[in-house]
Amino acid sequence: MIDQYTGIAPQGDLILVKKLCNIFRDKKFLHVNSTLAGGGVAEILVRMVPFLKDLGIDVRWEAIEGDGDFFDMTKKVHNALQGDTEIITDAMWQHHYDINKKNASTMNLEADAVIIHDPQPVPLVEYRKEGIWIWRCHIDISNPMPQVYNNVERYCRLYDASIFSVSKFAKPMDMDEFIIPPSIDPLADKNRDLTAEEVAETLAKFELPADRKMILQVSRFDRFKDPVGVIEAYRNVKKYNDCILVLAGSPATDDPEADIVLEEVKEAAGTDPDIHILMLPPFSNKDINALQRAATVVVQKSLKEGFGLTVSEAMWKGKPVVAGAVGGIPLQIEHGVTGFLVHSVHGAAFRIRQIFNNPEMARRMGEEAKEYVRNNFLITRHIRDYLGVWYSVQNKGRHILEL
Amino acid sequence: MESAVKNEFEFRQCIGLTKSTGQRARNLRELRDLISTISIDSIFHHTYQYFIKGHSLEYTNDFGHWAGECLEERALSEYLCNIDIFAFTEIDDLRAAILGQIDIYLETFPEPREALPGDEFYFNETVSFVFPIGMRVRNLAEFLMAIKHVDQGCIYYHFYLARKRLGQDSGDFAKWIKDTLKKEALAARIASIDPFMLNIENIRYDIIEFVEEEVHSDMEIMGR
Repeated sequence: MIDQYTGIAPQGDLILVKKLCNIFRDKKFLHVNSTLAGGGVAEILVRMVPFLKDLGIDVRWEAIEGDGDFFDMTKKVHNALQGDTEIITDAMWQHHYDINKKNASTMNLEADAVIIHDPQPVPLVEYRKEGIWIWRCHIDISNPMPQVYNNVERYCRLYDASIFSVSKFAKPMDMDEFIIPPSIDPLADKNRDLTAEEVAETLAKFELPADRKMILQVSRFDRFKDPVGVIEAYRNVKKYNDCILVLAGSPATDDPEADIVLEEVKEAAGTDPDIHILMLPPFSNKDINALQRAATVVVQKSLKEGFGLTVSEAMWKGKPVVAGAVGGIPLQIEHGVTGFLVHSVHGAAFRIRQIFNNPEMARRMGEEAKEYVRNNFLITRHIRDYLGVWYSVQNKGRHILEL
Repeated sequence: MESAVKNEFEFRQCIGLTKSTGQRARNLRELRDLISTISIDSIFHHTYQYFIKGHSLEYTNDFGHWAGECLEERALSEYLCNIDIFAFTEIDDLRAAILGQIDIYLETFPEPREALPGDEFYFNETVSFVFPIGMRVRNLAEFLMAIKHVDQGCIYYHFYLARKRLGQDSGDFAKWIKDTLKKEALAARIASIDPFMLNIENIRYDIIEFVEEEVHSDMEIMGR
């Protein structure tokens, strides 16, 4: 499987992965998260597990099983750790613990290295047997609700190390804390190369013209993604440059505000025939890929963001991206080199016009963007880093590891 | 870097894994205080390892980058980016030089504003993995083939890190070309590439250009 990435991923990443897999050959490596399908964590694990198996690691992936109350509560924990105010009672914490205890009694937790993803299964560490235990936090917990953080932290301190996506998402804890950004899979339907026919097929399906400049934003209909701001920016651009705007999102089952925001977006779009609001069903990855490839400029005008991996997805397609300077986006975009960082509707409009009117600059920016993603945000780097953390924890205190 | 097999150059690579120290600065005074006490590994991460991160040519280290982008203090950024990190053999001397520039700035200019939330300076360290990439070359033509294809982390290791590792100002490529291939003029050209003004891809292009010229020149001599 690793050979599929030869010529795509940096050679050094593949060499280091092979070297570390030789060191860990036949060792047991366990990942536990909350779902086997859906979400960024599952997207990575579904590729990572067979990849590592092929290289001789005895890797397993388990999902914690819980009832509706458990997942309602962990959703609140998830929100509270990111700064929202939530009410979580002692009884709910007890249920959280009991569900983990029940899972620990049926799940095989014996492994040389265990990575526990996010807060849902964090108490499993109380049942650790052997090996290295690492907590992988995919969310921003820098400003959590204190009571909720304290309840999670009492488990965190039992781990050997933790992993965060960005330095500023981390909370100082008395252990080694590694910084590993998320990644995209260049071979997945969402990112693989498409033929011109495949792109044309998607454009035809959504009745989009192939011969006009296209501004695209792919995101949920969420105020933090500022879709109305994108429409304002488009209107500003349209005074000077002919173009269409495509806002592509999917129905959010877990966000009661999504429908309200969608209505606001439709109202802001009015009767403009050049604004296309697309509601994509789940598993529309190939269509999203095609839209990104067809776009002239991809926008991610977020006001608040996690890592914002859709930025890297667009960059991987060689597109110039105009994005809000929030969350993990500045780590992906070097302003003026691999894209543009903006702070307002005016800034977004200005940079879109700059891209429209400088095709050579846009091409060069897209090339730089793709290379930047190749070197920093592919799944092979992610796998390399997980193995690297395992090896580093085994060699605690050493800053240079010669292999 | 000369390999165990005599006269061959063996390419190695460095890949870093970032570790958080848990320390962050919200303003220049906090940055100064933390620079004075933070680990040597963290100073190393924010200076020497700046070049492997696809560095912006506007800046030459993370401190200068933060001063320019997050505090928007252009003069401070200039002070910090003009420090030649390769002039120091001890990290503590580099630390003192950085603190010295911050102190001059604080004495000369009004107090800078605080960084906006989320734009604080986060002190990190690196765990470095160093390994051979399985490529050895014996002559300039083979070297030319290899340098075109090795990863950026490989050029970083031999061009940037070698200067710190060996305390020499030429890097591994120039050293091998001079000591083993006895091509002093070519070695001098490669050694003179300015490590601060080019990114790794630009450095690769320069090396390729210099070596191609040398190989063509050798071929012309042989054809006479």
